[in-house]
Amino acid sequence: MILEVDDVSKRFGALAALTRVSFGVEAGQVFSVIGPNGAGKSTLFNVVSGLFAPNTGRVRFRGEDIAGLPPERVNRLGLAKTFQITNVFPEISVLDNVRVAAQSRAPESGRPSSLWRRPDVDGTVVALLEAFGLAARGEAHAKNLSHGEQRYLEICVALATSPTLLLLDEPTAGMTPGETRDATALIRKVVLERGLTLLLIEHDMSVVMGISDRVAVLHFGEKIAEGTPDAIRHDPRVIEAYLGGGDD
Amino acid sequence: MRAFGWRAVVVFALLAALPLVPGVSRYYLLLAFDALLFGAIAMSLDLLMGYTGLVSFGHAAFYGLGAYATAILMERGVQSVWACVGFALLVVGLYALVVSYFATARRGIYFALLTLIFAEVVYTFFRYTQTFGGSDGIQGLPDATLFPGLVIDTPTRKYYLVLAYLAVAYAICRVLVASHFGRVLVAIRENEDRARFLGYNVQRYKMGACMISALLTGVAGAIYPMRSAFATPDLMLWTESGEFIISVMIGGLGTLVGPIIGGVFFTILRDKVSSIVDWYFIVIGVVLIVIVLFMPRGLLGLRRIFSRERATA
Repeated sequence: MILEVDDVSKRFGALAALTRVSFGVEAGQVFSVIGPNGAGKSTLFNVVSGLFAPNTGRVRFRGEDIAGLPPERVNRLGLAKTFQITNVFPEISVLDNVRVAAQSRAPESGRPSSLWRRPDVDGTVVALLEAFGLAARGEAHAKNLSHGEQRYLEICVALATSPTLLLLDEPTAGMTPGETRDATALIRKVVLERGLTLLLIEHDMSVVMGISDRVAVLHFGEKIAEGTPDAIRHDPRVIEAYLGGGDD
Repeated sequence: MRAFGWRAVVVFALLAALPLVPGVSRYYLLLAFDALLFGAIAMSLDLLMGYTGLVSFGHAAFYGLGAYATAILMERGVQSVWACVGFALLVVGLYALVVSYFATARRGIYFALLTLIFAEVVYTFFRYTQTFGGSDGIQGLPDATLFPGLVIDTPTRKYYLVLAYLAVAYAICRVLVASHFGRVLVAIRENEDRARFLGYNVQRYKMGACMISALLTGVAGAIYPMRSAFATPDLMLWTESGEFIISVMIGGLGTLVGPIIGGVFFTILRDKVSSIVDWYFIVIGVVLIVIVLFMPRGLLGLRRIFSRERATA
């Protein structure tokens, strides 16, 4: 078990964003968390990645308790996340965006020699940009990329920190159905090639069904179901959650 | 030399030739001293403002503390440039450690305010207690010695002292902004939240940038009394910090060279206008407003206009 979320609750004032959520992700799995808008998916991600400390419960990553650790520490343990709203470095080039991420894993990082040296990470960086079809856009400023390209850059930046567990928060948000299909296939391919474990948050059920090994469903902050994509598709509680109240 | 670039070498060679130009008087050499010193400080501040995205309203305290470090040693008979600079690094470093620790814990306007408040405390101590001469500061300092037998006594020697400092500080800044550390600073300026999610301890990087900027400014302060023969609390006044910020803006944020030009331009403009009229700050103000409104990239931004015209011609 690479990630264990154990009985996690998170409240914001009177709002119970997460109530006693538990699940576990095995190494090499593609695990998806789905649920209608406002189900608590992003809060769950923010708890796992270190932005929020949970009110109760534990989060263990490779056996280590990470609940409440700051994001930079969580990242250095090998857990990288992307954001639902593209969150890169807008006024620097695509290459520099991925470079600065990759350099955080260079031996110089955090050492005095980082004051005068710049580690060469271009091999890693170019390979990532090529995998996501961004190699030709390397010199462009991140803010000048198309929406789809920015979504890919978002993933490249996270992958450049060489994580063992990748958290993707609605990677295909804002894409057309065609783009979504391509992106989903590409993500699946890259994750397999790199032997990563993937925790995916999606609002769009069709995205996760094709690529997930296991799916958990959140509804109003509670986990209402977990199982294989097939089992989830036919689970009456899930159908009720998606077709009933609380949907968008 | 690699970090320096051939253009910088040419510019520094030309600057080094200035005292050889016939008709350059003592007055102009000392004005050039002030201009280059101001440029060096603006460049140090640019590490924070232009590269890290932090605006410090307290750089005058680093400058003034450096100046007092020299004055205090000289008053006690120590005239070595190296000793004075070393003492300034120690004093400014300790103070900057405290300021940067607390100021970098907050963002934006709070960072700016904290740097200002710390600086005002230091100013008040030097101005309103008699510990180091009160409002008169420390006056009548002797000339500094670079090596036994080499006294920095003539305007030419003073000019070369500041030019050497500028060259070293510029080389340090160039290497720094091209380094891993420098690239992380830019990432923090662009999006500090994402930088944290890439494993960077953002506060530590900001503290590092503050410390380096403060130390460079402190050394500039340590050199100043070697030309003026005094250190007064006015050097720490917040208007002084404001003038550093203005110089960075005039020259062009995040360019290093721009703020040097900005500092030189500001110093010469102030000197020239103040010798003509008493209300010179109004003139300077108008010039600055025009620059900020119509040249948002500063004086160095003009370069783009010229290169574009050349390209289309």
